[in-house]
Amino acid sequence: MTVFILRRLIQAVIVLLVTSVIVFLGVYAIGDPLEILLPGDATAAERAQVAASLNLDAPLPLQYVTFLTSALTGDFGNSFVFNRPALTVIFERLPATLELTITALVLSLVIGLPLGLWAGTRPGTLVDESVMTGSILGFSLPNFWQGMMLVMIFSVWLGWLPSTGRGDTGTILGIRTSFATWDGVTHLILPATNLALAQIALVIRLTRTGVQETMPLDFVKFARARGLSERRILFVHVFKTILIPIVTVIGVEFGSLIAFAVVTETIFAWPGVGKLIIDSINALDRPVVVAYILVIVAMFIVINFLVDVLYSLLDPRIRGRA
Amino acid sequence: MTPMRSAALAALLCGTALPALAQDLTIGRSSEQSSIDPQFSRTGNNQMTSTMIFGRLVEFDANLQVSPGLAESWQNIDPTTWEIKLREGVTFHDGSPFTADDVIYSLERADEVPNSPAPYTDQVSAVAGMEKVDDLTIHITTNDPAPTLMEDIGRVFIISKAATEGRSSEDFMTAEVAVGTGPYKFVSWTPGEALDLQAYDGFYGDAPEFKDVEVRFISNDAARVAALLSGAVDVIDAVPPTDVATIKNSEGFNIYSAQSGRIIYLGLSMRGDTAPGVTDLNGEPLAENPFKDPRVRKAVSLMIDRQLIVDRILGGSGVPAGQLVPEVLGGHAADVTPDQPDPEQARALLAEAGYPEGFGITISSSNDRFPGDADLAQALGQMLTRGGLKVTGVQVFPYNVYSKAATAGDYGAFVFSLGSSTPTSGPSLQALLHSYDKEAGVGAFNRVRFSNPEFDAAVNAANQEFDEATRITMLEDATRLVFAETPVVPLYWQVIHWGMRDGLEISAGLSEDTLPQYVRSVE
Repeated sequence: MTVFILRRLIQAVIVLLVTSVIVFLGVYAIGDPLEILLPGDATAAERAQVAASLNLDAPLPLQYVTFLTSALTGDFGNSFVFNRPALTVIFERLPATLELTITALVLSLVIGLPLGLWAGTRPGTLVDESVMTGSILGFSLPNFWQGMMLVMIFSVWLGWLPSTGRGDTGTILGIRTSFATWDGVTHLILPATNLALAQIALVIRLTRTGVQETMPLDFVKFARARGLSERRILFVHVFKTILIPIVTVIGVEFGSLIAFAVVTETIFAWPGVGKLIIDSINALDRPVVVAYILVIVAMFIVINFLVDVLYSLLDPRIRGRA
Repeated sequence: MTPMRSAALAALLCGTALPALAQDLTIGRSSEQSSIDPQFSRTGNNQMTSTMIFGRLVEFDANLQVSPGLAESWQNIDPTTWEIKLREGVTFHDGSPFTADDVIYSLERADEVPNSPAPYTDQVSAVAGMEKVDDLTIHITTNDPAPTLMEDIGRVFIISKAATEGRSSEDFMTAEVAVGTGPYKFVSWTPGEALDLQAYDGFYGDAPEFKDVEVRFISNDAARVAALLSGAVDVIDAVPPTDVATIKNSEGFNIYSAQSGRIIYLGLSMRGDTAPGVTDLNGEPLAENPFKDPRVRKAVSLMIDRQLIVDRILGGSGVPAGQLVPEVLGGHAADVTPDQPDPEQARALLAEAGYPEGFGITISSSNDRFPGDADLAQALGQMLTRGGLKVTGVQVFPYNVYSKAATAGDYGAFVFSLGSSTPTSGPSLQALLHSYDKEAGVGAFNRVRFSNPEFDAAVNAANQEFDEATRITMLEDATRLVFAETPVVPLYWQVIHWGMRDGLEISAGLSEDTLPQYVRSVE
């Protein structure tokens, strides 16, 4: 196990290093931050002054070495745009994104699991067909279009729910969150639903398939033979078995939701990291872009690592292979 | 995506607004400031926010014309010495009096803000020394005669020496440090979300009508329009031209439009002997760069139907242009009119220049810089084809990629824009059309590398002239001189739009600012 963890750690460091080089070069190749940062009437002298103060006049390899040495001490540099540490700028916005993605994840489980079980136990019926057709819509309608429709219907048409920003936030356990006020919760509903729709569809499909594959298995027959109720067979024995793939997929999906809630955050003006990264790419704010991608890569490495560890704990065969 | 979203909006709109707002006024703004420190960056976004909280020596009205602000009067004692009298009885938001010390401190700090991405260096570069005569009088000496000194140092926002000395830009996130003399006090800023302001009772000018103001930052066009229509905000800026009709036709909302000082032009590269993308009819390089011949540039200009572009691509959100600045700015020459489309004459000029069959050309543009920029490139391609050139390609790029390549000279024919932020055309003419000279810091945006020594002399002389009326006449003459040669092909000035609920009106203009102090209730 120790060898397994060590090996994963070394792999993680290599991945982070390679990513930093690629992203650093990529942002450099896109364009010149000075073109974006400077106002339209900047003079050559101002240009030189800014280039020097942001260390943009140094040769690229030198810039990278400077970046790497300070990154090793946890300093990813100051944002060109905000002149504040890139990590601070990112972590300042992360709670808003986490709040949104966790709500979306809970929604997808609360709605997706029962619907999936319902459809799975009644294969070929009208219920099954309707739920499956509905989930196709959840998958295939483009995310931004769903978002615009939600805004048009529930904000503009009906006037029930607000469509922009986080609303009033309060503090729970020292964290600023929308859950603390009713106004905040109403602001959360539309964006969370928008983000959850595709996930709901995914959970429905995974659950339904799982149930249909598990129901004909021997242990279900034996359970029936023992005289257990259908309800107990479904909710205790079958449910436990099908939950493993669902948890795995949801774990990875949670990572992508955090990293790529960009569309939803843009439509609903949600002040999270997704909107920050898009703005930063447009402004060529290299420290923020590089730091953000490294944070996200690290997050995926941790999630995958945890999943692997869990697997090896659950299934001795995997431990042996590793 | 924008047209799709707009279509969705248009198709589904018949909504009513939600009443009852927590704030007196909520503004939905497309762009966000990067800092509350008014000297951190002088990009438009930051200046807009700073104008709400901080004061300057002079005020710039909606058409960028100068009037007294924190400075009540100013005069030249000799060509390099200015005497500035400050306004009496002005207080900062923390109640402390505004004095000459604050002005000197602010002007000294202006070019020393650490890591500033856009410092006010140029605005204070003429200043050689400052001397406090008394609490409300300052003498400023300049290295050379500087006729536009007040316009320049007048752009710098004045901060309180007592509250900010030794503080960093980041410290301006607190209301103790972010004290100005402007109409609104800083309350809080949540980056990416909202800025909260409160009217300052001790403001020396006209008290703003709305006391509690929230500025929300909604960068997505469709989301901003939806926020207005759902009643979440009262006023929005930067309404996309495609959504103007939607808002106008919705009950309870109206649109205010104003001409912007931003000129959209087609640059024809005169760098070197070949222009990128410009070839003969078989795709081979030409012997010489055709754009070095003013007749060819004029011919291209005559191929373009500006009114058609404005009507069909921009939905009317533009004004055809024949020079750099619109008529409300000093130095606009009324007799330099936009070229009318004249394909006959264009062909004649091409033939005269030695290209009777035309030549191959590739047109480049950005696709996210201003409304319709990608469509514009396509329309230009069609118009140039009809005019007798062989358009071999139309290419568009995101602005963050495009801007670097355009400045590096990678494009032979490219669409670009230039905003005006000064009362006269002087700085625009010098930055865009003066011969490029990196050392002297002139021609910074002369991406086409146009050069005419006679014009250089004319514009330099105008910018040195103290008498304002004479300076403006000289700038008009310089404009006539240079546009006789079509240094760039001016296309149009943008028209920009604000959307608001009925019962409100906003004053806004060339500065493009969306300021709460300029929003009023109307019957």
